[in-house]
Amino acid sequence: MAAIVLDKLNKHYGSLHHAVKDVDLTIADKEFVALVGPSGCGKSTTLRMIAGLEDISSGEIRIGDRVVNHLPPRDRDIAMVFQNYALYQHMSVYDNLAFGLRNKKMPESEINAAINRATEMLGLHELLKRKPRQLSGGQQQRVALGRCIVRNPLVFLFDEPLSNLDAKLRAQMRIEIKRLHAQLPTTSVFVTHDQVEAMTLGDRVVVMKDGRVQQAGTPLDVYGHPVNKFVAGFIGAPAMNFLEVTIAKEGDTLIARSPAVKLAVTEASSRALEAWQGRQVIMGLRPEHLALGDGVVSRSFAAKVEVVEQLGSEILLETRVGDTRVTAARVPPETIVAAGDQIRLSVQPGRLHFFDPETEMVIAA
Amino acid sequence: MFGEQQRFMVLLIAPAALLLGLFQVVPIVIGANASFRDWALYNPKKTWVGLDHYKAVITDPAFLEVVLPNTFIFMIMSVAGALALGLGLALLLNRPFRGQKIVQTVLMVPLMVAPVIAAIMMRWMFNDQFGIVNAVLEGLGLEGQPWLVERWSAFGIIVLTDVWLWTPWFTLLLLAGLQSLPKEPFEAAAIDGTSAWRVFSHLTLPMLQPVIVVCVVIRAIDAFRTFDIVWTLTGGGPGRSTELFSLYAYVLAFLNLDLGRGSAAAIVGGLIILVVGIGLYRLVDRVTKT
Repeated sequence: MAAIVLDKLNKHYGSLHHAVKDVDLTIADKEFVALVGPSGCGKSTTLRMIAGLEDISSGEIRIGDRVVNHLPPRDRDIAMVFQNYALYQHMSVYDNLAFGLRNKKMPESEINAAINRATEMLGLHELLKRKPRQLSGGQQQRVALGRCIVRNPLVFLFDEPLSNLDAKLRAQMRIEIKRLHAQLPTTSVFVTHDQVEAMTLGDRVVVMKDGRVQQAGTPLDVYGHPVNKFVAGFIGAPAMNFLEVTIAKEGDTLIARSPAVKLAVTEASSRALEAWQGRQVIMGLRPEHLALGDGVVSRSFAAKVEVVEQLGSEILLETRVGDTRVTAARVPPETIVAAGDQIRLSVQPGRLHFFDPETEMVIAA
Repeated sequence: MFGEQQRFMVLLIAPAALLLGLFQVVPIVIGANASFRDWALYNPKKTWVGLDHYKAVITDPAFLEVVLPNTFIFMIMSVAGALALGLGLALLLNRPFRGQKIVQTVLMVPLMVAPVIAAIMMRWMFNDQFGIVNAVLEGLGLEGQPWLVERWSAFGIIVLTDVWLWTPWFTLLLLAGLQSLPKEPFEAAAIDGTSAWRVFSHLTLPMLQPVIVVCVVIRAIDAFRTFDIVWTLTGGGPGRSTELFSLYAYVLAFLNLDLGRGSAAAIVGGLIILVVGIGLYRLVDRVTKT
């Protein structure tokens, strides 16, 4: 059993920099949690505090049933994968894998067996005699993973392990890590600034900004029901479009209106929006929920195409709606459309998000 | 013959080449020429004698049995001592503590002291009648020693002086080396539960090895040529028992005024250090490549 509990965790650097603010988070045994956020949001600091590489300014960290605040890293029974692999460059792959076990004075035969198991899982057999310098980035990171696996720790910590890899390798390693976690269910915390990694890997995604947890939930949850404008804009690619609209009522239906847009609100959120009649709100719509064409008139608006990005599988359209830019994705690749064209974009029902312009919190989910 | 670009390049190289030629190549050629001739102050005819001087030098028992061993023992002990101390200090300084900058500056002081002055200081400290070392020993009820009169204690003091002079240099370079090492392997080792000694022996030392080797090579070649502190401390004495190679050549050429023999000795020494130097450079090459 190795749940991790962060309780009112804080980290100050000097008196000016408050890197991590009151982070409360419970990570269940064998759960894979992805900490995601822009650089400087405190995610890495949080991870390093769990690892014991940074002191805790205030608050408490528990791993299993132990408070680990004052335990040095080696007594926390954790293993960590670093962004730049942190392999011991002058040792062979085998010695890298064996290093942590030799620290524990484990007999060589057991070390050998543990390394065999790990290399089997990661396909490292042919590389055992090589030095890290002779390996590609992906192979090095696989060795770093192996170094964690052989120790069979309570917790895996990942500090942006895929950031130094190129896009193709990153996608491969993502799958590899996912497979690994299925084979060896171990409580894992994965720090990344890449929301795709966070969404694909995490059982749960924790979005951080400015040292605070903004939202913690399943990938579908943070995507479908972002609690504020930041999470809405951060999760999802291409990023969500935001338009300033005024809420009004026409007959029985609420409408969201701006000089360029007039949309009927049929969302479940409409009840919460009643109170916002006559006031300005921020409306969010995801590029992938916009379709080319009229659809229902009350659910569509005019846009002017500025840039056409042909991806082969789909077209991304950069358009201008009034004076805001709106991106539309999932346009069929065969569509004939060119910059300067006037088009209409329609919104799928139930896909609008509304945010309080001052607090930026969601008005209704 | 040359294009404009080549002429410009020659022009750029010329000043350095000229200086090198005037102050390095020409004197070496003159010295080499002298080493084949019988040339002394009382015999200025410069008769050609071939390899006679070389034979005399390499069969000279003083050279073979005292000077050469002294030179290599001094080189090894001085470099090893300063390396060990310098590494120790660098490790101590490579962690933040209050006053770290001040300590670091104070430790650098010997680097700013001229070797001759350091040697005079040491000579007085170890003076058998007025020296502070004997004063302290006698104060503790021990017997004072005639430090500079006995061969190995005198030799020890020479090594000590050199170690004192050069430890800060090692400290400075090794500290720079330590600070440029990546942090992550050490963090990984901390998580892996590595003991301090294993971190030092399995991570710090191997990762620092290229810096260490370069420092050792530079210092070893330099130590081979040491003159000033020995000349000031013991003048090669008692007798000739602490004579190093450069003293040997100096005494021959400028005290005995046998310029031919002195030049031959200098060239023999030059060849020895060339061979040693090439060996050490090979070592650097091997270490930095693996």
